[in-house]
Amino acid sequence: MTSKAPVIYLHFPNRCSSFGSPVLRCFAPSIPYRYASGLSRNDSRARDQPKKKKKQRTEFKNQSLRDALQFSLCDAMRYIRAFEVGRNPTSSKYDLAIRLRTAKNGPAVRNRLRLPHAVDTSLRICVICPPDSPAAAQARNAGATLVGEETVFDAVKAGRIEFDRCICHVDSAQKLNKAALGRILGPKGLMPSSKTGTITKDVTGAVKGFVGGSEYREKLGVIRCAVGQLGFTPEEMQRNVRAFVGEIKKDLALLSDRIGKDIHEVVLSSTNAPGFSLNGDFRSPTSPPTRDLAVL
Amino acid sequence: MNVAKRTKKLKALLDIRIGPGAAVLSNDIKRIHLDFARKLNDGHFGARKLWRKYLPRLKYHNPAISMTVNRTLDQDGPATLTVFFAPTPKSSSATASPAPSSSTDPSTVPSGHTPANRMETIDMKHKHESEILSRLLELTKGMPYEASPDEMAEMTDVDDEKRRSERDRGAQARLNELKKQEKALLDLARGGVEAA
Repeated sequence: MTSKAPVIYLHFPNRCSSFGSPVLRCFAPSIPYRYASGLSRNDSRARDQPKKKKKQRTEFKNQSLRDALQFSLCDAMRYIRAFEVGRNPTSSKYDLAIRLRTAKNGPAVRNRLRLPHAVDTSLRICVICPPDSPAAAQARNAGATLVGEETVFDAVKAGRIEFDRCICHVDSAQKLNKAALGRILGPKGLMPSSKTGTITKDVTGAVKGFVGGSEYREKLGVIRCAVGQLGFTPEEMQRNVRAFVGEIKKDLALLSDRIGKDIHEVVLSSTNAPGFSLNGDFRSPTSPPTRDLAVL
Repeated sequence: MNVAKRTKKLKALLDIRIGPGAAVLSNDIKRIHLDFARKLNDGHFGARKLWRKYLPRLKYHNPAISMTVNRTLDQDGPATLTVFFAPTPKSSSATASPAPSSSTDPSTVPSGHTPANRMETIDMKHKHESEILSRLLELTKGMPYEASPDEMAEMTDVDDEKRRSERDRGAQARLNELKKQEKALLDLARGGVEAA
C-alpha cells in the first residue's frame, strides 16, 4: 500500500495528531480543565433545571469514509496473512462485514447464499420428513446426515442435537409443531420455519443450498458472514466477495422503496486480524503477485 | 464500529511493516517451520515470542514463503526452527493457483511447489527471540527493510500521539482525583450536619 497517511482524526479534534490541519489543532486544549469554578455549583445548577431529552436517533450512525484508510483486496489479504501467520488454517476464516445505511427499526436483511467457493464443508444437516418417503431418499442423496420424523424428535427431546441445520418437509410441518420442539431448537436457531425457507417442498434444493452455503443476517446495521478459508487465493476471494455483495444488493433491491437501504462500507477481516475497509479495487500497484498470497 | 477508532487500531499495520523482523529473505527459501511447546516453561518462551512478534513482519515482507507453526503438548520436547531451501522456481510453473491446503501439519509439503532440497535447523530452546531472529536472518541472508521517509514520519506521529495521550491521561487522572477528594469532603460535611 502507499504509505501516505490520510488524516483520520477528524472526529476527535483534540486528539488530532500533528499531521492534521492547523485549524483542527487549535481546538486541542492543553489540559481539559473544565471545573475551574468548583463542582458543587455546577452540580446544583444541573439538578434545578429539567434535563433536556436527547432526540433519539432513528438511523444507525455512519461515519464518513472520506478520510478513512481503505485497501485493495490484495493489500488487505497481505496484511491479514501476516496477522494470521502460524494459526491453524482450518479454524481461521476470512470474514466480511457489510455496513448498511439503514433505519434502526424495520425489516432486517436475512438470507442465505451459496458462495462460488465454499467456506465450511463439514455441515451436518437434518431433514424432517417421513423416513420412507421419496423426499427422504432425495434428502439423503443431497447429503443430509439425519433423516426422519419421530426418531429425530425423540433424539432432540433427549438432548441429542447432532446437526447444525434443520430442514422440514411441508407435509411434516404439523407433526413438527405438535412435537413442540420450538423450546429446544428455537434458541439455537434450528427451528424450521417457512420464513427462513427451512419448511419447504423442495428438500433437495434446500439441502444443497446448505451444503457449502452460508447464512447471513443483518444485526445492528451490519451483515457479517464468513467468506473464505485462509488458503484461498485472491481470485477465489474476489469471486466470493463479489457473489456475496451482489447477493446483498439483490436483497436490498427487493425491499420496498420506503425502506431505503444501501451499502455503506465493506470490511474484510479474519479471525485474528483487524478489519480492513475495502476500496473495491482488486490490487494496487504495490501488491505482491497474487499466487504468493495463497501461501500459508 | 467507529471508523476513527478502527483506523487507530490499524496503526498496528505500521508496526507490521517496520520494526525488528521486517526483512526480505533471499528467494530460495520455501518454507519456515516452527516447532515448540504450547506453554513457555523450560525454554519455549523465545520461540513463542518470535512467532508472535516477528513472524507477522517476516510474513508481510515475504508473502511467498510458507510459514507454519506447530505447537506440541510435549513441554520437554525441542524448540526448533527449520528453514527449507529450494531452487528458485520458474515463474511459468507457478501460474496456476495452488489448491487451498488446510493443514499446518509439518509432514505435508504445500502442493505445486518444488520439494525442498536442503534444510537448516536452529535450536530455539532457552534463547531470546532477538537472538533467534538474528540467527535466522544470518542463515537466510535477510535484508532488513528500510523504512521510507513517509513511514518514518508516520512513526513520529504515532510516537507523538502516544506521548500526548500519556500526558492527557495523567491530567485526567489528577482531575478525577481532585473531584473525588472534593466529593469526599462534601459528603463528610453533609454527613456531619445530619449527624448533628
